[in-house]
Amino acid sequence: MRTFDYTQEIPVVDGKPPAKSIDEVISKPLGTKPGKVWKALITVTTLMLLVGGGALGWTFYKGIGVWGNNQPVGWGFDIVNFVFWVGIGHAGTLISAILFLLRQRWRTGIARFAEAMTIFAVMCAGIFPAIHTGRAWLDGYLFPYPNANNIWVNFTSPLLWDVFAVSTYFTVSLVFWYIGLIPDFATLRDHTDNKLKKTIYSMFSLGWRHSTRHWQHYEKTYMILAGFATPLVLSVHTIVSFDFAVSVIPGWHTTIFPPYFVAGAVFSGFAMVQNVLIFVRQAFDLKHIITINHLEKMNQVIIVVGTMVGYAYAMEFFTAWYSGNQFETFTFINRALGPYAWAYWTMVTCNVILPQLFWVKKIRTTIFSMFVIGVIVNIGMWFERFVIIVTSLSRDFLPSSWGMYTPTIYDLGILMFSFGLFFTNVLLFVKTLPSVSIAEVKAVVDGAQPSHKGGTH
Amino acid sequence: MKGDKLEDKDNKKDVNYWRGFRELKNDPEFLEAKKNEFAEELPLDSNEPGMSGLSRRKFLTLLASSAALAATACSDYRDKGAIVPYNRKPEEVTVGAPSFYASTCTSCANACGILVRTREGRPIKIDGNPDHPVNKGKICATGQASILDLYEPSRIKDAMLKSGAGFIASNWADADAKIIDELKKTAASGKEIAVITHTVNSPSLKILFEDFSAKYNTAKFYSYELINDTNKFSAFKKSFGREGLPVIDWKEAKVIVSLESDFLGKEGNPVESMRLYAESRDVMKKDGEFNRLYVVEGGFSVTGANSDYRIRLRTDAIEEFVYALIAAAGENKSDINGLISKYNLKKEAALSLVEDLLANKGKAIVLAGNALPESTHIAVNKLNDILGNTKLYSKESFDAPVMPLTPREEIEALISRMNSGSVGMVIHFDTNPVYHFSSDYKYPDALKKAGMVITMSEQINETAELSNYALGISHNFEGWGDFKPRTGVYSLQQPVIAPLYKTRQKEAALLNWMTDNPGNYHENDYMNYIKTNWEKGVYGAAGAKSDFKNFWFNSLHDGVVLFNEKTDGTFSFKNEAFMPAPAFRASSDAVVILNKSAFLGDGRYANNGWLQEIPNPISKVVWDNYAAVSPAYAEKLGVKTNDLVEITTGGRTLKAAVFVQPGMADDVVAMDLGYGRTGAGVIGNGVGFNSIELIQKNPKLSDRLYADGKITKAGGTYELITTQEQYPIDHERYNDIHFKREVIREGVYEEYKEKPNFLKEEKGETALFNIVPSYEFTTTKWAMSIDLNKCVGCNYCVAACNVENNIPVVGKEQVGKHRHMMWLRIDRYYGGKSDDPKVSFQPMLCQHCDNAPCENVCPVAATNHSPDGLNQMAYNRCVGTRYCSNNCPYKVRRFNYFNFRNNLADGYYEQTSLSLMHNPEVTVRSRGVMEKCTFCVQRIMDERQHATQEGRPLDGDRVRTACQDACPTNAIVFGDLTKKDSEIVKHRNHELGYHVLEEINVRPNVTYIAKLRNIKPEKKS
Repeated sequence: MRTFDYTQEIPVVDGKPPAKSIDEVISKPLGTKPGKVWKALITVTTLMLLVGGGALGWTFYKGIGVWGNNQPVGWGFDIVNFVFWVGIGHAGTLISAILFLLRQRWRTGIARFAEAMTIFAVMCAGIFPAIHTGRAWLDGYLFPYPNANNIWVNFTSPLLWDVFAVSTYFTVSLVFWYIGLIPDFATLRDHTDNKLKKTIYSMFSLGWRHSTRHWQHYEKTYMILAGFATPLVLSVHTIVSFDFAVSVIPGWHTTIFPPYFVAGAVFSGFAMVQNVLIFVRQAFDLKHIITINHLEKMNQVIIVVGTMVGYAYAMEFFTAWYSGNQFETFTFINRALGPYAWAYWTMVTCNVILPQLFWVKKIRTTIFSMFVIGVIVNIGMWFERFVIIVTSLSRDFLPSSWGMYTPTIYDLGILMFSFGLFFTNVLLFVKTLPSVSIAEVKAVVDGAQPSHKGGTH
Repeated sequence: MKGDKLEDKDNKKDVNYWRGFRELKNDPEFLEAKKNEFAEELPLDSNEPGMSGLSRRKFLTLLASSAALAATACSDYRDKGAIVPYNRKPEEVTVGAPSFYASTCTSCANACGILVRTREGRPIKIDGNPDHPVNKGKICATGQASILDLYEPSRIKDAMLKSGAGFIASNWADADAKIIDELKKTAASGKEIAVITHTVNSPSLKILFEDFSAKYNTAKFYSYELINDTNKFSAFKKSFGREGLPVIDWKEAKVIVSLESDFLGKEGNPVESMRLYAESRDVMKKDGEFNRLYVVEGGFSVTGANSDYRIRLRTDAIEEFVYALIAAAGENKSDINGLISKYNLKKEAALSLVEDLLANKGKAIVLAGNALPESTHIAVNKLNDILGNTKLYSKESFDAPVMPLTPREEIEALISRMNSGSVGMVIHFDTNPVYHFSSDYKYPDALKKAGMVITMSEQINETAELSNYALGISHNFEGWGDFKPRTGVYSLQQPVIAPLYKTRQKEAALLNWMTDNPGNYHENDYMNYIKTNWEKGVYGAAGAKSDFKNFWFNSLHDGVVLFNEKTDGTFSFKNEAFMPAPAFRASSDAVVILNKSAFLGDGRYANNGWLQEIPNPISKVVWDNYAAVSPAYAEKLGVKTNDLVEITTGGRTLKAAVFVQPGMADDVVAMDLGYGRTGAGVIGNGVGFNSIELIQKNPKLSDRLYADGKITKAGGTYELITTQEQYPIDHERYNDIHFKREVIREGVYEEYKEKPNFLKEEKGETALFNIVPSYEFTTTKWAMSIDLNKCVGCNYCVAACNVENNIPVVGKEQVGKHRHMMWLRIDRYYGGKSDDPKVSFQPMLCQHCDNAPCENVCPVAATNHSPDGLNQMAYNRCVGTRYCSNNCPYKVRRFNYFNFRNNLADGYYEQTSLSLMHNPEVTVRSRGVMEKCTFCVQRIMDERQHATQEGRPLDGDRVRTACQDACPTNAIVFGDLTKKDSEIVKHRNHELGYHVLEEINVRPNVTYIAKLRNIKPEKKS
């Protein structure tokens, strides 16, 4: 039996590819014509986008009554999807910012991709608060702008905090992502002889010449932005959780929500990044750059945050019982045994029970099993939001106003629209921009950095 | 310092160009002044006398902004239509001020007095006439919503002539000529002219009929009602030899026993009986004693829901029960004990009933429902007689129609004459016998053989479809009339709007056919006719001191005339009417009871969306009737709610959906009448099941009660929609949940007498605090109180709120999605077990919380708090996030998921005629906006405006909300909490007052007065 040498760090990049080959491998999808698989995939995703867009259009034409939302359940798929997508976004920032600050070098292979997914996920998320309003054409009222009527927004409303939290998050993520892309744009500019591409790359590379001075500025900026983005990882989902925690509704009105939501967000985000990366490394021959080791590390994060989420579920029940508050107790018993029990147990199975399989090394290092569990986690996390929002609203204080919520095809259509948007963006991204940071990977190739031990370490 | 030096230097430099000696000499004062470029102040905000206070800059600013505003206003995307100046203002109309007209409601035979509120000549709201001695300012839900029928888009707008399968527009002149010709021919040929009408309670109409048959001597008049009191009337006549029914002295009734009699819902004049019943349930009166209500029934009525003791008994056994009570009154209790074990009655309730009846001789009243057979009514009369309860019957004041209903046999004779061809003309005088008559009569076939058939109706109905002429008649608000519902009570109906279409009131049409000059028709023809009759009759009888003209206008103003009518004094029970010991049937078949619909009358309001959408008070089902069965019976039949069953009685079958109704007696099926119409219109067609199909021509018991029912599962389902979720009340998690959550708090009357403060002691004082200082309401603070002792759950307030606040009708499908828009709802809770639940009602509306949880979550501050304590909604600001609704613990907010007016039946309720109906003081909300109860802020503002105009402080007692106005039992009190001597303060501080969900500290402003049940306290053993 081969013993594992724990004193040796696992190399971030398999083998020792020369810098030129890294350039070529990563930028290859950008220069080649799309393959059949890519075309098939984008056909599917744009179809989802179009059909879902039809559902959205019908909603604008008729009113949001075409959805299943009703009097006790004022929020349904709309806000479930919003929280879901914001959550997906969290992995990107966590990987690119927090892991960067913690000097986790294994992040280099996946950071760019994760960041891009953050941006796309936040775009998807941003749609929902905008369209969920009854009069979407008046959404501008949500922004504090000076106006003749002297009407200001209501700063005590968590929904307004959301507006700021999400827009800040999107802006910072975008800037962070773009700064990281500048050296790569320069590399691409230098490699291409297509005039149009050269012009575009030149524009976006902002005159980058790979000079030491540039690198110095770059590293500092990147560090500062990473520092800037780090609190956002915690704040955005904390504020999203305030939408619920600040209310009076049993099942919403609870202080555990901020950490619980952040853990859940990282949980689902990592699962989504892991899922998509599996495809990307397969499709673009990046297996030596995005290694099994990376994926395993992600799975390890998944099991940690998944267990935190499971703990939160347990604590919610404990608090409900321990508080002696009959409304709270009823809400939680109703979640587990009431008409939406199926949703609750789907959530528990997907989020708490099945991810435990990752304790087995074989499962967390096998592509197929980790992919399946990743999908399951995302299903579970979507249901978590459904359970929190719908079951709490459907049976609150007065039994006279209880009512069930049933989504319609338009709800499903708009959910499909968001997935269509997300994956279309992902597909366009992998064909137009380097999905792995060229510059950073070069820096983590074995031997790229000077070592006091000399040679390989 | 440095600057000074520089300046000095500069000054020295410019020394050549001095403007005066002071400059030349560098006078410091001058130098200081010179720093200012303009010696005089800039006229930024000019305050000069004689000027408008407008600076040049401000003027330019305003000029530019108004130009911009004008430009944007022109580009408004909404078409607002043309604005027409009111330059020929009618007399009596002040723009913006409502006018009220006293009139009479014609929705049913009760003829309640009403006040119609009109704005700019359009009727927009109906309230009861406070001067009317019967309904005293209150009016039922059907009456309130009948305003919709005036503006109903599908009204017949002229005289219509049958052509092929449909109708073509004709005109009255043509129709008159043909009809008069036919009338003359028919009369001459000796064939009958049959006029079929509903209850006639109008003295002038009776005279008109007499005049008509004088002119056309073969004319005969028939009146019928689907829901009638015939058995009650005939039993009373047989028992006491008197026509009509005596008015009951409710105040003296300590014990009320209702036998399948829904006097708090659908029987007699419930507007009156509810008020009189609740007057003896007043906790504000310190000496007021509670009456005790026993209900024995097979179905589940509103009266049963309000009872202190409720005994479930299959309806056909009620007669047996009455005989047992008669025996018990003679100190023989073996019969009642026998019955208790035979029908498994609630023993303690039944024995208590006997005990109370015997202990309260002469102070109790036993009422029998109008679906019960005549023999039961006679037995009840006997029981009341031997207990001395006839003392509570008025000897002078009787309720009776002006013309009695036509006996069943005569209707049958008419139909056989129609079949034999000896009827030349049939005139349906605003009746719909094709729908209402038992199918045994085969009335549609008879109509075909009847010569000319004329139907006068507001809308095309089943009968009109089979007629040669469909004549569009005027709505109640477009015509004249007089009524006499009770001894000594005359009331007048007057038009409050000119006919919207080329319609005539039905009486005027008949009158016109009697003249030789039908072309001279005038709207006022019938008014003149009534006037003549009154001059001859009422004027003299009333003994008025003024001349007739004054008397007439005063009567018209008041809407009602009262005078002493002489009736012969006493009456006594005729024993020969009473059958001492009949053989009781012991049927094991199902009992089928057919009840009056809660709001649709006999089905004539089926096309009224508001009424279809007000939930059934007990089951909360909307837009349908159903076969109600008890949970145990449903289990026996193997059916559950929504399953279709076949009900068979006397060879007739009807397929209907089952609704499992907790609290029904076993082996009983109860169905409402008035549904399943085919000719009602877009709204009412195909709603529910036509239970008239079960009515027999010659029923054994009564036309609405059958004891030979067979129920079988038919297979298939039909979805019934309720506004409240049907959670399993027997389940431990849900059982008595409203009590556990203290949403409903109740007590026992006797215990309250001993310990008035029990409610507060039960819970102890909870110290609730705010982390921020509370706002002090110093000038005004609005609040409401609802006395649950008086609230019987009738839903009249819901109807009033709908009309007042322009609430849209959303339709069955949308109610099924929990999107009904009613701002005020009556919550109904079942306590105890489902076989015999204890019902609690609770009107639920926006609580206008001081710490309103909806307010702080609105991102755009569209819902906020007014300084006078209202939780208000700015519709224009609302973007529709629905966060407020989610965060409302009472779930009283309503969201416009669609433009609901446009959404139902292809925009049926968005048609032009309906826009006239809307209350102009209340915004019509569009899609995407949240709305809710405003405490009728428009009425508050009206009072505020009056107070300002009259230079007096605002008087909270003068503001009455629409629901308060409508509440027949005066359970709702509204007012200003800062006015210490007001009613509302008394209610709010009452020891029985509580707030729903007190502990979440939202500080609601609706106080509920806990209900006391007048049950005997459990004996301490």
